[in-house]
Amino acid sequence: MSPAVSATLRSGRVVIGLGLVLFLGMCALLAPLIAPHDPAEQNLLSILLPPAWAPDGNQAFPFGTDSLGRCVLSRLIYGARTAMIVAIVASLGAMLLGSILGHVCGYFGGIVDWIVGRAVDVWMSFPPVILSLVLMVGLGTGLDKVIMAIILVDWTRFCRVLRSEVLVVTQRDYVTAARLLGFTHWQTITREILPATLPLLITLLSLEMAVAVVVEAILSFVGLGVRADEAAWGQMIADARQYIYQSPWNLLFPMFAIIIAVSAFNLLGDGLRRAFDVRLAQLAR
Amino acid sequence: MLPTVLSLLGRRLIAAIPILLLVSALLFCVLRVLPVDPAAMSLPPSATIAEIEAQRREMGLDRPLALQYLIWLQRALHGEFGRSIHYRRDAGALVAETLPATLELALTAMAIAGTLGLCGGLFLFRLRGTPFETLGDLSSMLLLSIPEFLWGLILLFLFGVVLPLLPFTGRLSPSFMRPNITGFLLLDTVLVWRPDMFWDAITHMALPAIALGLAFSPMIMRVLRSSLFDVYAEDFIAQARLRGISEMRILLAHALKNAALPTLTLAGVQFGFLFGGTLLVEIIYSYPGLGNLMVDAVRNADLPIIQTAGLAYCVAVLLINTAVDGLYLVLNPKLRVR
Repeated sequence: MSPAVSATLRSGRVVIGLGLVLFLGMCALLAPLIAPHDPAEQNLLSILLPPAWAPDGNQAFPFGTDSLGRCVLSRLIYGARTAMIVAIVASLGAMLLGSILGHVCGYFGGIVDWIVGRAVDVWMSFPPVILSLVLMVGLGTGLDKVIMAIILVDWTRFCRVLRSEVLVVTQRDYVTAARLLGFTHWQTITREILPATLPLLITLLSLEMAVAVVVEAILSFVGLGVRADEAAWGQMIADARQYIYQSPWNLLFPMFAIIIAVSAFNLLGDGLRRAFDVRLAQLAR
Repeated sequence: MLPTVLSLLGRRLIAAIPILLLVSALLFCVLRVLPVDPAAMSLPPSATIAEIEAQRREMGLDRPLALQYLIWLQRALHGEFGRSIHYRRDAGALVAETLPATLELALTAMAIAGTLGLCGGLFLFRLRGTPFETLGDLSSMLLLSIPEFLWGLILLFLFGVVLPLLPFTGRLSPSFMRPNITGFLLLDTVLVWRPDMFWDAITHMALPAIALGLAFSPMIMRVLRSSLFDVYAEDFIAQARLRGISEMRILLAHALKNAALPTLTLAGVQFGFLFGGTLLVEIIYSYPGLGNLMVDAVRNADLPIIQTAGLAYCVAVLLINTAVDGLYLVLNPKLRVR
């Protein structure tokens, strides 16, 4: 292991953040093995059960049941699956689109830079919640549509920040030297510029995963996220909201799950930012 | 200085025109790929296919997309945004009725976020070098990880259900007749001089505004803190110390002024996001604003409203950004070139 990587892993924030992310990732990966019930299985005779440790709890349902008698713990575990898939695929997609455009714009400038810059202006004039909502209206519901909407909304986060970073890096002497040595533009970008922007890229990716978890929860909460037969934390919150007096636990569990997932990614991102020593003041979400 | 600010605002507003055109075209295209037929939806279910076809022609739906957009744009410039399919009313009027409620909520929330952000940022900065520094940093990170709709639900749960202290639906108790002068309820109740009604409106506003304020303050806190760190590395702070000025005065009178500018830029961006965040908080608290109108329209596939409300959000964000730029110019003497 290279010294840089081991130094990064020694940072407390990275360790805790990565630990929580891995825990959620394992829940997502092993959902069918560890979930005590099928998340869609309804037990209409035992609806709105409290958690097992409450006076009239049932040991078969550790975190109780929802308004249709579905096991809350199993739905949380399958919800982690939805959240992690969205976090990983959507962030990687937004990163690819945004960073490719960012590198091209920062390196070449010119007309492409101008066009992408105006597109970013248009995107920035939409509050992200509104834009993703409008896109979901156009795309329809489903996990793949949620991922698509997040990519289409959040590529600007990567594009803006990376473009200004590439502008700075391109001015450095070693980039000029590479060009003088006869490197093609492609070689210069991939071998000289990308290694310099990579720490920023990884940090942004981690922070974007936190954003993706929130957006997925928001869309599912409004009823425009995943389909009704897929378990998602936002959907659980929307269901539980109607029974807030009878069964507050149903509301609190998915809320805790979202907070844990988002703070894990934020903690990891902040730890990476410190370890890589990247300046991120400009980018604040 | 006034001419500089005015010319900047003028330039920004002119630059906003092409952006708005693109935004409206984007909205138009996204909403036209929907698998719903606005013509069929605007007629009773008993309509024949021939009637639907006639309605399609009348609504211009058989023409090319670009032409449809130009027709829509021409009407929009005359203030006609189409009739809502669900409410059977003019979409522009519906948006104009609900916009003040959302603006009122957003402005109150921003005041709360700004105050919390300022106090929190100064507090976090004062913790530097003490054993509590990391704790403060980690708590602000935890706060940052709680989005506005979760704050909305947490506060609803704590102060609406566990300790029923504050009302959590609508803008006013049903026993009051709502005065309608400007649409801004807090202002209206003062204008008709009804302190009891003003207080009722405040209690209804409290939970949604605090939820939004809490969600958007941690970012302001963290940026203010890191800007203060940057300012403290500069020579004039050391100079002020040598002149024997107290630490408190250095922080509040010297450093804060300089750290305020980057924070203000960020707060402007945050305000744009906060304005979008009102949508979720409005749904949670059944607050009759633009957000509830928009979500109802989305559920009913009410295209004219989605389009007009989406545009209203963008206009608001562009105006906010312009105002923040103006404020930045007023506060930053370096930019005041003649």
